[in-house]
Amino acid sequence: MEAYLIAIAVYALVYLLMGLGLNLHYGFTGLINFGHVGFFAIGAYASCLLTLAGYPMPLGFALALLLPALAAIPIGYLSLRLRSDYLAIVTLGFSEVVRLAIINEKWLTNGVQGVPGIPDVAQGFGLPVSGSVAALIVLLIANALAIALVYRLTRSPFGRAIQAIRDDEEAVRALGKDPGSFKIRVFMIGASLAGLAGAIYGHYITYITPEQFLPLVTFYVWVAIILGGAGKVSGTIVGTLALMTFLEGSRFLRDLLPGVSEVEMASVRLFVIGLALILLVRFRPSGIMGDWTSGGTQR
Amino acid sequence: MTVAYLMNLAVNGAVEGLLVGLLALAVTLVFGVARFPNASAGDVAMVGAYSGWLLQSAIVSLGPLSLVFAGVTAMASAALVSLALYWLVFRALSGRVGVYALIASIGAAFVLRSVVTFFLGHDQQVFAVPLTRALSIGPLRVLPIDLWVGAIALAAMVCVFVILRMTAMGRRMRAIADNPQLAMVSGIPAARTMSGLWLMAGALSGLAGCLLGLKTVIAPEMGWDLLLPAFAATILGSVGNPLGAVIGGVIIGIAQEVSTPFVGFTYKIAIGFVVMLLVLLVRPEGLFVARARVR
Amino acid sequence: MKNLQMNRRHVLAGLGTTAALATVGLPVKHARAAGSPAMIGALNPVSGAGSAYGSGMQKAIIMAAEEINAAGGAAGQMIEVIGEDTQTSPEAAVNAAKKLVEVNNVGAILGTWSSGVTLAVMPITTAAGVPLMCTSGAPAISTEDKADLVWRFQATNDRFGRAFAKIADREGYKTAATMAFNNASGIGNTEGFKKSWGGEIVGDVVYEPKRPSYRSELQQVMASNPDVIVMGSYLPDTTIILREWFQLGGKNKWIIPGWAANDKLVEALGAEVCEGVISVESVSNESAESYAHFDKGYQAATGSPASSNVYAAMTYDMMIVWGLAMAAAGEGADSAAVNAKLRDVGNPDGAEVYTFADGVEALKSGPINYQGASSRLDFDEYGDVTPDFGMSVIKDGKIERVAVVSI
Repeated sequence: MEAYLIAIAVYALVYLLMGLGLNLHYGFTGLINFGHVGFFAIGAYASCLLTLAGYPMPLGFALALLLPALAAIPIGYLSLRLRSDYLAIVTLGFSEVVRLAIINEKWLTNGVQGVPGIPDVAQGFGLPVSGSVAALIVLLIANALAIALVYRLTRSPFGRAIQAIRDDEEAVRALGKDPGSFKIRVFMIGASLAGLAGAIYGHYITYITPEQFLPLVTFYVWVAIILGGAGKVSGTIVGTLALMTFLEGSRFLRDLLPGVSEVEMASVRLFVIGLALILLVRFRPSGIMGDWTSGGTQR
Repeated sequence: MTVAYLMNLAVNGAVEGLLVGLLALAVTLVFGVARFPNASAGDVAMVGAYSGWLLQSAIVSLGPLSLVFAGVTAMASAALVSLALYWLVFRALSGRVGVYALIASIGAAFVLRSVVTFFLGHDQQVFAVPLTRALSIGPLRVLPIDLWVGAIALAAMVCVFVILRMTAMGRRMRAIADNPQLAMVSGIPAARTMSGLWLMAGALSGLAGCLLGLKTVIAPEMGWDLLLPAFAATILGSVGNPLGAVIGGVIIGIAQEVSTPFVGFTYKIAIGFVVMLLVLLVRPEGLFVARARVR
Repeated sequence: MKNLQMNRRHVLAGLGTTAALATVGLPVKHARAAGSPAMIGALNPVSGAGSAYGSGMQKAIIMAAEEINAAGGAAGQMIEVIGEDTQTSPEAAVNAAKKLVEVNNVGAILGTWSSGVTLAVMPITTAAGVPLMCTSGAPAISTEDKADLVWRFQATNDRFGRAFAKIADREGYKTAATMAFNNASGIGNTEGFKKSWGGEIVGDVVYEPKRPSYRSELQQVMASNPDVIVMGSYLPDTTIILREWFQLGGKNKWIIPGWAANDKLVEALGAEVCEGVISVESVSNESAESYAHFDKGYQAATGSPASSNVYAAMTYDMMIVWGLAMAAAGEGADSAAVNAKLRDVGNPDGAEVYTFADGVEALKSGPINYQGASSRLDFDEYGDVTPDFGMSVIKDGKIERVAVVSI
């Protein structure tokens, strides 16, 4: 039982770390990024391949922070020129290009065969615990740091500027500030968080293939932050917990429902997720914790 | 590699592009007027394909005529589903930021797919079509079904154009696209106009789903898989521009197929997105922004 | 609109209730004891890319478990199957596997399908000492399985490729082209073929799935006029490719894996298109009683013939063989002890048996050799079955076996 709970906790924390990044993009700055899984994938492959080549894991994590940030720069530039609803589709396309590149660059990524035998987090940091527990510890630290970072960032002048951009970009421009450089920096920071999440995920699961990096992952992160309330750190946390409760809870619900086969349950699960999305957006668009529009900024 | 070889690739790409463009037509209408990328369009197309197939398997003895009925059924049922989605989901979201409607449309897509898989399972289905050999036109080989896809896509585009430009309903749609507040105060019946829009978008999706089902196989994920290229075609051709959506699809299709001798077959999907990105770098609003558009 | 909005407290309360409900459902972890049922995990691709097979695979496991229970259980224990969906996604499969191992306390996990899922689940099951039975083809599974806990009921892709090569020789083909679905299994088949075939390879295409057309890919391989096109493919893409090939007036022969060239393909395309297509699969034991027995049950349970889902026979055998191994290991044996008995009940030198009930009966008087519905079920040192391959040709819409090929 413990190992299963640890597994869920690890997933929740991976999604939380991604969600904190996406919340910076959308919740605080209003950038509609639907390609988050692309940064996640880059981080995962960067760190896993580097450590497999014999380099220490902290170096892998550093690369997982750096590469997605670099990949975010061109996306950031594009976001300056594009309408926000175009950006959603462009970023979605970006994440698919990343996945296709991983599939095709076999010399580097082993293509669709995937990368097996990735060192786990315990080996990487020499911790005297199992790989899962080590991943959990590292994720707790990473999330704590990320939350602290987001808090400080959003209360700084920089944070006030990006929230002003979100609320009224023209006004910011009129004040003589260039929204562009802010947007690009936000894109980079959020991408780094997703990349780090990818690295820890890769070292936790110890086997990565391109099929783990489908747009569905991005949708789940979106669900989490909208569910909890965009533009609030507490919203991301609560939203992620709620998402995980549902995704994992539905397994047990099935065990309780005799006569419903797993085959039908797959349909039922998809139905409930879909319906929940509709109802949420329809009746509680500001999320469980309320979003930036419902007062009490920044938290 | 000969010129004929490349020309045949271009034909393949054009046909795939027209199919994508047909769905993009549905996406661009909603995107232009209701102002969000509707992710349920693909699954509405899938519902259309399944209902067309259900009907056709019941009346297959009618021969080719059964396909006509299947097409009409696909369009009608998809239009109704689309209308239902508008009244139940999207109507209440008008006036909110587009991303909420986008997320709700992803939810609607999941709901539609779950219902279909619950009752009809995951197995592939096919329309009963008599198979015919390809026609040779000079150095080109053309499949008869592809001629149909092309003709129907073009006809659909013309219909949309005529409706938007020459009917009162179309003018009202364009007025709402231009300025919803102004349209409202000038007494345009918003709900009725939007119902017309969603019916039209649904019928186009259903048609796209039916043709895709004819050309390939009918499966629960078929519409969802076509959605991303349709989105790309929509913004490549400028949102709200029906002509642009179809041309955008064709450009992406041709670019993908003609690139294959150079980048291989597994990279070609990426080429579609790269073309889209490059165009947007130069023309951030898409190719046809200044031309005839919904808004 | 305001009155329709739920407030935060309501939503949180609702979530709390859901969580509480979920917790109620957690079974208490219990030691394995006679009287309590033996839990078995059925981890199948019910949704996602494998969805055409997953539900049949799971039903076959449940069917086999019912058969075991009807015969009085295995070593005094009834079997209880817990079904899970891999969603054909490694991530979802890993969570499902952890749940099966930790919460349901299963003795074995049966029926992972895609190689990606099997490779992702293996570290978890192996760490927990739980055997894993799969139908995946990737060769890496054998080499990664260092604890001898992973069992493969399907021939490896490499073996399939070698069987393709033998058949191409047998038919006297001089030139061949290959087309592979871009995943580990598709590429594994065609690479295996290319490695072991002596003839000339004139074309080689790997394609991305889920396309509205494969004409450009076909155009390339057909340009080189091969005698035969060898596929590593699945049913939907094969349906589209063959239809377009026929319309383009192709003349070459085809060698296609049996899971793609089956009755459903003929049903979808008609007899004319499929005429002469060579379908290759690991020989289900169609002549064996176990196959007829399984076919009858499967038809009753799903309404489809067993030949419509080659993996269902494999997962059925997984459950039966595990049950026989439980019986052989005796009451109270743990997973490791049952695991150690798998070769004993499946491999030669023993009375050949075809059903669970007969197997249990025969065990009383000596060793047994279960002849499965999917193959003879003889495991090699890697825990892989080493089936023969059947070469079938489609004639007038009927799939007819013409030869059996041994590697």
